[in-house]
Amino acid sequence: MPAKTTILLRLAPLAIPFLAVFCGGLVLAAAQSLGYFSPLPALPALSADAPTLSGYAALFHGLFPASFFFTLYVALASASLSTALGAFMAYLVWGLPGGFRAAATIYKIPLILPHIAVAFIILILFSQSGFLASVGHALGLVETPADFPALLYSGSGLGLIAAYAYKGLGFVILLAYAVLSRLDRRLIAAARMLGAGPFIVFTRIALPHMAQALGASFIILFLYAFGGFDIPYLLSESNPGMLSILTYNLYFNRDLANRPEAMAALTIMLLFSAVFVALYARIASRMKNTERKL
Amino acid sequence: MTRHDSPSLVRRILTAAFACLLLAACSSEPEKSKEKSVDNLAFAELETMAAGTTVRLFMYGGMANVNAWIDGYVARELRDRYDITLVRTPMDAPAFVNKLLTEKQAGKKDGSMDLLWINGENFKNAKQAGLLYGPFAARLPNDRMYVNQESAQYDFGYPVNGFEAPYGRAQFVFEYDAARTPSPPDSFAALAVWVKEHPGRFTYPQPPDFTGSAFIRQAFYAVSGGYEKYQQGFDQALFDQNAPKLWAYLNALKPYLWQEGRSYPKDSAALDTLFARGEVDMSMGYHPAHAQAKIIEGSYPETARTFVMKDGSIFNTHFTAIPFNAPNKAGAMVAANFLLSPEAQLSKFEPENWGDFPAIDIAKLPEEWREKFNAVNLGPATLSPQALEAVAVPEIPSEYLEALEKGWEENVLR
Repeated sequence: MPAKTTILLRLAPLAIPFLAVFCGGLVLAAAQSLGYFSPLPALPALSADAPTLSGYAALFHGLFPASFFFTLYVALASASLSTALGAFMAYLVWGLPGGFRAAATIYKIPLILPHIAVAFIILILFSQSGFLASVGHALGLVETPADFPALLYSGSGLGLIAAYAYKGLGFVILLAYAVLSRLDRRLIAAARMLGAGPFIVFTRIALPHMAQALGASFIILFLYAFGGFDIPYLLSESNPGMLSILTYNLYFNRDLANRPEAMAALTIMLLFSAVFVALYARIASRMKNTERKL
Repeated sequence: MTRHDSPSLVRRILTAAFACLLLAACSSEPEKSKEKSVDNLAFAELETMAAGTTVRLFMYGGMANVNAWIDGYVARELRDRYDITLVRTPMDAPAFVNKLLTEKQAGKKDGSMDLLWINGENFKNAKQAGLLYGPFAARLPNDRMYVNQESAQYDFGYPVNGFEAPYGRAQFVFEYDAARTPSPPDSFAALAVWVKEHPGRFTYPQPPDFTGSAFIRQAFYAVSGGYEKYQQGFDQALFDQNAPKLWAYLNALKPYLWQEGRSYPKDSAALDTLFARGEVDMSMGYHPAHAQAKIIEGSYPETARTFVMKDGSIFNTHFTAIPFNAPNKAGAMVAANFLLSPEAQLSKFEPENWGDFPAIDIAKLPEEWREKFNAVNLGPATLSPQALEAVAVPEIPSEYLEALEKGWEENVLR
């Protein structure tokens, strides 16, 4: 069919770089995780012709499993926090009178800040020699910097969650507010007249209206926090640490013989992200069969 | 697990995918035939050949004073003496080794780097994967004249074999503030006592960070009776016998470390910041003049000083190397030779420039140059070369290094 060929040709400028670079990289990473294309052809154990799962086995005996669950926890907690707070704040902003609504655009600040800047803000505010600790010290609330509660690097992931949640908040508000602005305000007036309280109005009218946008932003934020590097680079705990840092160390700071292990970590992260998106799409489509899927 | 015919099929698919990648990766320029074998040229011919060329130096870019020295003094001298344009590109050593690795796998003959600042693990990785040009060190006149060949024979226990030329020397020191800590510990045993008396005031960068890894290597020497027995290459039995002593030592420190050992600073820069802001009382580094540079820069207090452990302090040599596909090998060799000249080494030694210790043997220099080196004022925070020399111990072979870093994660971090 000539039409099909034309379409393919027109897609080519986009499709070829995608196939060659992205898919090529993917295939290469997966291949290296199985021991192919080893950077060390000199080592007989690694240049095996048959695929070997030793990279994966090594991962599961190392720090990877704990790190995986920690990363999952940080990503879920921060994405949930941003989505919940963001939905609520978008609703509040939407309910403001016109002039205030314009002023409320300050919520866009975390949107334009790079992730690394947000990480620095958290670091400067909350570390034990940081701004809050100094204020506490000046007010006589804490005696020495070490008495200030260790919010960062304490093993709880609080710093990471705070940074991701703050960074994600503006994004959720932006998306949710855009959806809300298409909501007919008369619906709410009607509900009020029929005796609905503010809580019912929020949960039964505003939330369902925002649900799709919230779902989409949750998944984007979750995936970013799951694989992101810059915030963990500044704020990650040591043990368990974030997956991106663990993989970075395996890839850059270790012997080349560890290459299959590093690639195995990358492959697992990618597979997990794909499975997560698929699962989520399925649940979402089941929840409301009639509506458009994500 | 695999069917009989599948390996070849898998391979074919992978090769096809790989070929795809290569097409995208290298916009294959026609190979410049300037490569008329620099292998057999005398050094004077290399100098002629290098005139009017550009040398691309890839090096770690995280030290502002070093960058300024390269861009200023070295670039100027290379231009004036040899008509060479020096272009510095900041890149971490593991990153350029990986870049070279990709270029090698892609069959890229015409690279983008001429000279690398490298040592240790990265050198071993690069050498093993066949990424380096050489041997070339013996072709540099300054290497033959001034370098103590014995001391530059191994790089972290890995034979150099002329595939890199020495450039400088570094030694591990601890940093402290004399105003806060009047008498710092002088041995690893004393350090353990000190840490327990000052909970939360000490920590070390998390291995595999370079500095953190060097810290545990020194502790390893100290708790297992010295460095000598490890120098003959890797011995698993010896490692298994002695490593538990190190884990015991470090685990005993752990509850008294910063954040009770639940977290470690990511690298030495993070530790320096903690020290400068007073969250901990000690920092450490693989550069004897680093504390002095930090004082000059204004981030450390004037009373910052350095000390070494009498159990020994690790030193290493750092080197320059040339990639297998360097487009300008002649220029690279001329630049590497210049970096080894007494002039460049002296300028590098001066603390306001860099404070890096010379890679050449001062004793081999003419009298007037020896006096110049002796006259360099290192500043109050830097220990004298004699004090450092007295406790200097060699690096451990890199197989041990790898085993220690892995073991640390399994036995101390968890």
